[in-house]
Order: sequence, then structure tokens, then C-alpha cells
Amino acid sequence: MLLNLMDRLARAMAILGGLVLTALIALTCVSVLGRGLNTLGHSAFLTSLSEAAAKALTATGVGPVSGDFELVEAGISFTIFAFLPICQLRGAHATVDVFANSFPRWLNRFLMTFWEVLLSALIILITWRLYVGMEDKMRYGETTFILQFPVWWAYGLSFAAAVIASVVAVYCAIARIAAYVTGQDLTPDAEGESIEPA
Amino acid sequence: QEVTLRLHQFLPAQANVPKNILDPWADKIEQESGGRIKIERYPAMQLGGKPPELMDQVIDGVVDIVWTLPGYTPGRFPRTEVFELPFTMNDAETTSRAYWKLAEETMMDQDFAPIKPLGLWVHGPGVIHSSQPIDELSDLNGVKLRAPTRVTNKLFSNLGATPIGLPVPAIPEALSKGVVDATVIPWEVVGALKVSELVKNHTEFPEEAIYTSTFVLAMNKEKYESLPDDLKAVIDSNSGLEFSAFAGKKMQEDDAGPRQAAIDMGNNIIELTPEQAAKWKEAAQGTIDAWIAEMDEKGLDGAGLFKRAQELTASN
Amino acid sequence: MSLLELGYISFPLLLVLIFLRAPIGLAMMLCGLGGLYLATGTPNMFLSKLKSETYSTFSSYSLSIIPMFLLMGQFATHSGMSSSLFKAAESWLGHRKGGVAMAAVGACAGFGAICGSSLATAATMSRVALPELRRYGYSGGFSTATLAAGGTLGILIPPSVILVIYAILTEQNIAKLFLAAFIPGILAAIGYMITISLYVRRNPKAAGTREPMPYAERFRALANVWPVLLVFGLVVGGIYLGWFTPTEGAAVGAAGTGLLALGSGNLTWKMFLDSIIQTALSTGMIFFIVLGAGFYNSFLALSQVPQELSSWVVGQGFSPWVVLTLILLFYLVFGCLMDSLSMILLTIPIFFPVISVLDFGMSPEHLAIWFGILVLIVVEVGLITPPVGMNLFIINAMDRSTPMKETYKAVLWFITSDVVRVILLVLFPSITLFLLAG
Ligand code: NA
Ligand code: NA
Repeated sequence: MLLNLMDRLARAMAILGGLVLTALIALTCVSVLGRGLNTLGHSAFLTSLSEAAAKALTATGVGPVSGDFELVEAGISFTIFAFLPICQLRGAHATVDVFANSFPRWLNRFLMTFWEVLLSALIILITWRLYVGMEDKMRYGETTFILQFPVWWAYGLSFAAAVIASVVAVYCAIARIAAYVTGQDLTPDAEGESIEPA
Repeated sequence: QEVTLRLHQFLPAQANVPKNILDPWADKIEQESGGRIKIERYPAMQLGGKPPELMDQVIDGVVDIVWTLPGYTPGRFPRTEVFELPFTMNDAETTSRAYWKLAEETMMDQDFAPIKPLGLWVHGPGVIHSSQPIDELSDLNGVKLRAPTRVTNKLFSNLGATPIGLPVPAIPEALSKGVVDATVIPWEVVGALKVSELVKNHTEFPEEAIYTSTFVLAMNKEKYESLPDDLKAVIDSNSGLEFSAFAGKKMQEDDAGPRQAAIDMGNNIIELTPEQAAKWKEAAQGTIDAWIAEMDEKGLDGAGLFKRAQELTASN
Repeated sequence: MSLLELGYISFPLLLVLIFLRAPIGLAMMLCGLGGLYLATGTPNMFLSKLKSETYSTFSSYSLSIIPMFLLMGQFATHSGMSSSLFKAAESWLGHRKGGVAMAAVGACAGFGAICGSSLATAATMSRVALPELRRYGYSGGFSTATLAAGGTLGILIPPSVILVIYAILTEQNIAKLFLAAFIPGILAAIGYMITISLYVRRNPKAAGTREPMPYAERFRALANVWPVLLVFGLVVGGIYLGWFTPTEGAAVGAAGTGLLALGSGNLTWKMFLDSIIQTALSTGMIFFIVLGAGFYNSFLALSQVPQELSSWVVGQGFSPWVVLTLILLFYLVFGCLMDSLSMILLTIPIFFPVISVLDFGMSPEHLAIWFGILVLIVVEVGLITPPVGMNLFIINAMDRSTPMKETYKAVLWFITSDVVRVILLVLFPSITLFLLAG
């Protein structure tokens, strides 16, 4: 029941992150295209072909999307934070199991619980520090270069995603401990997921 | 030794500023302290993070000293921007003196309150390096240009160019591939980035430069306070007004080599006449006015800052 | 204990944590944070770094290329291109002895051109080629080993996620690395085809045969793969010619492949969401390791281990070739146990300074690129070396009827081919650097 809720939450976050990623891809393509047309409008080639066409093209004001780099940076950070919950819930973090496979079962159960708890603690630590970082950016009034939006907005988006990651992390830690104590598994089985390192 | 200070900065060890300014400065302090101070140097962001994080690193005491640009964190050091306004800088040494003095008058308890500034300086005159010659304002029309600071971004977009945000190391590739058509940097950086091999035109302005950037060499405040008085004195005697002036002068001197190299390569150095430059200055006035208005809005007395910066520059 | 000693013992300690099944990113983070704490005596340093470095790592413009390439690979698996590629290769090669296996390798190479990851290539091509191989009477172990090896072409042939990470770590030009990987990638495909023909000569019963296809049909099949060429040319060519930055290239590639998949009718809304989930799992895992590596490497830099190690190596006067060989052997051995990305992130900050100070008679840039390609190949071999080879696992999971032992046996042939190729590339750096010369 709670697992179901957590899974839906993590999935929703991942999809939200994926949609932002898709939007950034589209934005970048538009920017590349705009820059290409802008270059074409100013090129000797088009000007020699038809000055009117070149003028018309540049007159449209077509060009790269202003501040595209900044938008990608702000957006991609949200995306990655939004991807973290599902990673942890489905045990997607890379591990080396070759020696562990020969450990006794009780040791493996202990290690998995132990690492899960530490991982969750780390994610909460990261979330807390991200909040402090956001406060700094807010206090100092730092902005981006070109669009000059406050940097803390981007921190804030990432922080929101990190909070969800922390919630899922707490669940994972508690579920692991409960599983260790009671012997009943409350996390989805990571086996058979095709996790792709590179 | 008694005290180890970690100096973190973003350029490789063999670049001009670490080699000609920071290393001699650190060596001198080590020597004058009789070996009681050791300054460990970590170039090229070896201790992690990106250049804009240097300021936080020194405030939080992650490292003890950083060399960085206030402009890396737009909005955070608004007063320093007064020296980055177009056509206000002529000579880096003079402006660096003015920068330190104005900082003493207005910034130490404000912009620089969380840190202990050891040196404040500006680089030599900014130059436009472009694939197509740029003589007149109209030549900027539609040029995709990498501008170095928040103020220059505004300036060039007001002047009709298309500013593109890029990190400094990406400049050579972007220039060679036409992702940008021009970049604005002082000569001193041109050598390391091989800009004169990539573009053949360099537009220089007579008298006042189209822009400069401000730097800061900063120390963690608590670390400084924790030093015994005699070691504080060693740091103090090597820092402040005269060191800032030296650093500014040195940086401008480092402009000469890459400039001569560009001439030797047969590149086209466009030295605008004062009459031509006047038109640029006129066009840039809007950017200055907008900056003053922006500062006034923040309650920072933009007009007063601008006037005082001009006075200090003139009197040096 | 001195800071330097602390740095030296942190590495074996890190390995112990990893072998105790700690998530690799977490283990690096713990060693990095712990090291920074012990080095400075206060938690301030790592608390302060955590404040901004997580955000700055996750918001990195150059690293944003990774989720984009991963999504591109996901779209590629839904684009229907895997079967077009296999059909085209099979129509030309299938009638030869071992020809269907060769076709699978060829199709993997083609797929690698639009997919930046190895496992996705192995999994996608297996779905198409495994049933066909078995239909033509290819033995189980031979079929799975072929596809596992073929899958490694996914990272060898650009675009490649591993090369992106290497480029960022060593501040090299991604476009040049992609270009340099091209000929070694083609050599890998040719090497695997030669391996296949040797294998079937030795084990004639391992492969069946069929009649040659008429040429009209072959050309028709070939004509269907033009979209792959188009996307590959646009992405790699566009990055190299400077139409766009590598990140922009990845975005263009992801959009192009997404449109292909959409056009093929295979990319439904559900498939799109599934692509996102798969991208999320890989991206989250990779960035967590990158983050951990960042902290661990800051600590290493503070402890001066890389500097000391490289000046020690120089001081000993070892032959550069011996050092290089030892490093490559290290990767081969560790590749049996660890995944490629973690190995790169963990070791490049240590090994790269060592290699950079040695004289191989080439420019620093060429040395960095050549070393990068060699490392890429040896870590990629790790994907197919027993006992831990991710490609072997994934393919075996898709063909439960073949015992793992048979896959292990057959894959040794392909590993031999890899080793031969590495030796060739070490002895003749110009093979790698050839395309960069012009
Ligand atoms: Na590839
Ligand atoms: Na392996």
C-alpha cells in the first residue's frame, strides 16, 4: 500500500524530470536552428544569392534562444534530482556483487540494510545542504548572467525534487530495516531491471 | 611552519596571473614570515567545484584564500561593477588603485563584508576579437559574441550584437566552429586561448577601454583574525592598495606579448580613432544610465558610486 | 598519519567498501567526505562543499549531454532501426559460414552509431538477432557471446557516454575523442567478424547456413537504414564540424531519434514514458557516482596523491611503455569485477597525471586522446569478461536456455580479439590518431 504510493510518487517525479529533459532538448534544438538561420541571414552566401531574402530573414529577428545555456543548467539539475527517487526505490545504484555473492545470507541482508540506511542519510544530508545553499543564493541576490533570473529559483526547483527524494529515501531505509527485522520484503525487486551503466 | 594557507583558483599554474602575480606574492609572504607561513597553491579548481563557487569556498573556510572574479556571481557584488562600465577604464594600474580606494570607502562593510580582501584589481583594456573586421557600430549587427560580464552582455545586446553565454575555456572551440563570431577579452588571455590563430581582426579603443573586469584576491575572515599579530602584519604589508596597483599593472603588461604575436602573425589590428570611438561612447551611455538606475533602485546610490569612481580614477 | 598517507590508504579502503556491496557512488562519497573531515579536522569543509557542489554537478552544462544521449539510446531501441539494421546486414552476409553472427555484429556497429551505451545496444540487438541466430542453427553460447561482444560496439563507436566522462575529467575535446574512436570501433567490428569465421571453422557445428539472397532484395534492405546514417552523420559530423556544441549535438540526436521512433509507429505514449523511466534509472545512477567521485577526487587532490604518484613514477625512471602496460592490465583485471564508468571515474584522476608526465613522443593532446581510446577499449572488455560482465548477464537473462558456462567459453574468443586489438593500438598510435591528423 505504502510501497504502491512511494512507487507512484517516484515514477511521477521521474516522468516530470523526463518531461523537463524533453523540453530542454526541444529548447536546445530550437536554439541551434535559430542560430543557424541567423548565421544564414548574415552569410555572404545568402546575401549574394538574394539580398532581400537575407534582409527579410534577419529582420524576423531569428537567432539563438537567449540564455539557452542557463536554462539547460537550471532545468537539468531539476531533472537529475527528480530521477533520484526512482533510482533508490528500484535499487538502481551500481554495486559490485561478485564477492558479496559468496557471503552468507545474513551478512548480505545486513549489508544491504546498512548501506540503504547510509544512502538515505546521505540524501537527506544533501537535501539539507541544498536548502542552506539556496538560502545563501537568496541572501546574496545572485542572478544568472544573461536572463538574470535569481539563481535561488533554480536551487528551489532542485530542492523540491530533493525533498521528494528524501521522503522516498526515508521510506526505503525504514522498509529495509523492517525487512531485516521481520524478514518480509517491502521494496521492489531490483533483479531483472535492465540497468545500464554505459 | 606554523600556519598553512590553501590558495585555490581557477587558472592552470603556468598561466600569467598565477605565475606573475599570485606566486610572487605568496613566495614573498612565505619568505617574510621566516617560513612560518606556508601557502599551498591549488590551481585549476583542483579542490573541486566550479569557479563561481570559489567565493563561497573562502567565505565558508573550505579554503583560506581564493582568487576570483566578483562577476562570476552576478548580483552579489553590485558596487564592483562600477569599474566594469563601458569606457571608464584607461589604465589598469590607475583603475586598480581607484578600485581599492572605493572599496575602502564603500564596499568593505557591504559587498565584501563576509571576506577579507587582500587585493582588488582590473585587467588591461578589453579588446574585440572577431572573424569579420569591426570598425563601426553597425558592424556589430547580428554578430554572435561571447561577452565576459553581466554589464558587457547588456552593452553588446544594446549595441545590436547577439550575446552568447559561454564559459571561458569553451571560447576557442566556439570561435573556430563559428558558434560565436567574436569574443571580448583583454590581450593577456588571448595567448592562452589561441584566439589570434582563430580570428584575424582585433578592435582596440583609444584612451578608455570598452570594458574591463574586476578581480578579487580574498582571504577567509576568521582565518585572518586567527593569525598572530606579527603574521597579520606580514600579510598586511603585502596586500592592499600597492599590491592591487602592482597586480593591475602586471596584468596590463602581460597584454604586450600576445598583442605582438598577433601582429607578427599578420593579423589585422584595428585601432579606432578618437572620433570613431566617440560614436561608440555615445551609444554606450544608455548602458551606463541603465546601470545607475538599476543601482538606485536597489538603494545603492548608483550616480554617487559612478561619480566617485570617476573622481578616484582621475586623481590617481 | 600524514595527509599523504591518508590519501594512499583511502584507495584500498574504498575498494573494501565497494566489495562489501556499498553503492559505488556512496562509497566514494563516504571516503571523500571522511577524508576531508580527517584532513581538516572539522566537518565545515564537506558541509560547505555539499551546499553548492551537488547543485553545480547536477546542473553542469557539459554533463547534461549524458541524459540526452541516454534518452537518445532509449528512443533508438524503439525506432525499429535495430531490425532494419539486422535485416540489411543479414541479407548481405547471412549466407556465409557464420554469416548471421557477422550480420549481428555489423548491425550492432550500426546501432552503436546512434546509441551511446553498450548495454542498450546489446539488449536491443539481442531482441532482434537472437531468435534469428537460433533459427539458423547457431549454438546457444556462440550466439549469446556474439551479441555480448557486439554490444560493446555501442560504446566504442561514437557517440559514447564513457568518452564524454573521460573528456570532462581530462578536459579534452569531445569531438576529437569521438573522431579518434571511429577507426578503433570499425577495427573492433572487423576483428569480431574474423573471430566469428575462425570460430565456425573450429566448431563447424556451431552455425547453420542458408541460400544467398537476390541482390535486388539486398539493396532494398540496405535502403531502409538511411535514417541511421542520417542521425549519426548529423550528430557526430555536426559536433565535429562545429555546427553545435556536444550537448547541442546530443539534443539534436535525441530529437532526431525520437522523431524516427515516432515515425516508425513504435514509440507510443507508454513507450515514451518507459524510455523516460529507463533514462532516469541510468542517469540517476551515473550522476550519483559522478557526484561521489567529485568529492573523493577533491580529497585526493588535497592529499597530493596524484602529484606525488606521478613524480614518483618519473623519479623511478620506468619506461613509459611499462607504465602504460601496467595501467591497461590493471583495467583488464578490475574490469572482471567492476563496471566501466566507476572504474573511469575512480582511476582517471590518479592515472591521467601519471601518463601525462611520461614521454611517448607525441603532443599532450594526442597522448590524452590515444590513452583515452585505449582505456575505453580495456574497460569495455570488462563488460564481457567473466565473472562480472554486464553484457553477458543481460543477454543470458534473455536466453535462459543457454547455460552461462557456454557463454563464458565462447566469449573468450572475442576477448582474445579485443586483446589483439589493444596491442595493435598500443604499438601503432597512428591508427587512433590518423583521423585527427588532417
Ligand atoms: Na555509440
Ligand atoms: Na567483466
